[in-house]
Amino acid sequence: MELRINGAAYQVEAQADTPLLWVLRDDLGLTGTKYGCGLAQCGACSVLVDGVVVRACVTPVAGVEGREVSTIEAIEDDPVGKKVVAAWVEHQVAQCGYCQSGQVMAATALLKHTPNPSNEQIDAAMVNLCRCGTYNAIHAAMHALAQGEKA
Amino acid sequence: MTRRMKTTLGWLLLPCAVAAGLVTWYVTREPASPFERTQVAIDDPALVSRGEYVARLGDCVACHSLPGQKPFAGGLEMATPLGAIHATNITPDADTGIGSYSLADFDRAVRQGVAPGGRRLYPAMPYPSYAKLSDEDVKALYAFFMRSVQPARQPNQASSIPWPLNMRWPIALWNGLFAATEPYADKPGQDALWNRGAYIVQGPGHCGSCHTPRGLAFNEKALDDSGAPFLAGALLDGWYAPSLRADHNTGLGRWSEADVVQFLKTGRNRHAVVFGSMTEAFNNSTQFMTDQDLSAIARYLKSLPGDPARDGTPWQYQDEPGVAQLDRPGAHTYVTRCASCHGMDGKGQGEWMPPLAGATSALAKENASAINITLNGSQRVVAAGMPDAYRMPAFRAQLSDQEVAEVLSFVRSAWGNHGPTVDPAAVAKLRDHTDPASSSPIILQMR
Repeated sequence: MELRINGAAYQVEAQADTPLLWVLRDDLGLTGTKYGCGLAQCGACSVLVDGVVVRACVTPVAGVEGREVSTIEAIEDDPVGKKVVAAWVEHQVAQCGYCQSGQVMAATALLKHTPNPSNEQIDAAMVNLCRCGTYNAIHAAMHALAQGEKA
Repeated sequence: MTRRMKTTLGWLLLPCAVAAGLVTWYVTREPASPFERTQVAIDDPALVSRGEYVARLGDCVACHSLPGQKPFAGGLEMATPLGAIHATNITPDADTGIGSYSLADFDRAVRQGVAPGGRRLYPAMPYPSYAKLSDEDVKALYAFFMRSVQPARQPNQASSIPWPLNMRWPIALWNGLFAATEPYADKPGQDALWNRGAYIVQGPGHCGSCHTPRGLAFNEKALDDSGAPFLAGALLDGWYAPSLRADHNTGLGRWSEADVVQFLKTGRNRHAVVFGSMTEAFNNSTQFMTDQDLSAIARYLKSLPGDPARDGTPWQYQDEPGVAQLDRPGAHTYVTRCASCHGMDGKGQGEWMPPLAGATSALAKENASAINITLNGSQRVVAAGMPDAYRMPAFRAQLSDQEVAEVLSFVRSAWGNHGPTVDPAAVAKLRDHTDPASSSPIILQMR
């Protein structure tokens, strides 16, 4: 089947029910997207499909055929994603960093749909888990982005 | 006492004694079997292989085996209101299993629930359904167990039901009232496929054990399609086994015959994925049935009419715009915990993630299945030797009773669903009953 990822077309051979995450990481070598829990609970594997954040570990690859997938590798090609990454650097969000690609994807998805989210909207959307506990730094970066501050 | 009084008393007691004698005979007798003194060629490979298939249809292994133990050696604990009983060793071991059974003994146990010596089995063994097995299938099943199953020396465990409740003879009276007595007979006016389906569903498949509601004596309210309660849905062991009749909301009304076949063969279709007790039935039984038999089951089930009065207003999908922004209780939990798989639109993902929009568990009055799967997740579904890629996680440790009640109430009211709301107390109760460390766990897994 043909997948469109980060603007490029890829031919992949996979069973219809293979999780998108394994196709990205194992077949295509796009290892920026991380495996966390495998149960859609933590968000480490977040990617965008047609601009909506989905958890790649529970997304059968057949379901994204013909749709536009964006991963962390190309996030800075997106103007919103670029701003998010800059804010993440500015606020030094990452500690171990494992969950951060998923956090950035979730933040980008929120800001693409809601450019100036309220605190409640931020809290409602930023639900990915972080074992280092960088939630305060994430919130600070998100708050800055929501205010439209130049990072 | 005068002589006259004694005589009168004697005349009164005589019928009582005769009646007592008759009852004693009735409840301890070994009923007749068509196989008395019949020898069977258990070495016939065709017969043995047919027997293996019948064992698959009947899903014997689900109760008569424990994980990691020898097949058919028994041991599964089943709690009853009176105490626990255990599935028995049905390997051909002469001392602890059924190695010494003649074909007639075996027939009496399987189809009439009577062990050698006249001891009655508990109807946890689905002999009220197995009574409908054909003579040929019983013979084949016997050949399979005697020839193909490895004998395992494992003594049966005694039941924990105290005297006098552990007396078995009253079961004979129960059988007289509630068990089928004749093998399935083809129904005139129906074609061969329908009749084959009826045979499997009513007989070896014993679908009614879970899906037919039970009466006060724990009897299935109907054993075949002549009764409206047959396969009309039942609450059992903390799960709601839904209607298998043409009920639009809670049954198979929206399923095609092809949907039924796909569900039983692969464990999933666009409407649902097997979960709860059905996982066992799928893993051990239905996926091994031939396509022809699955088509027969589908044909038969789809011929059973629904009951609009019981089923309620027919469900229709309704859009639920902006789920992510809703401030209804439970909506946020849905978005963060459920929507990744089941979708913001509640439609799931193809046949891989079941839809919650229009799901039986979201439309049925009974909420046990919805609560149970949310608290405890799904068991491994193994289709054609491959474990499933996706599984419902257990939210027992993550969500409170209140949160589970709210998210399920949300699901049961979104996208046109109209199941009653869920009360936190119901969640608390099922949480306790499904906790192995609880003082009152559900042990019986009726399969």
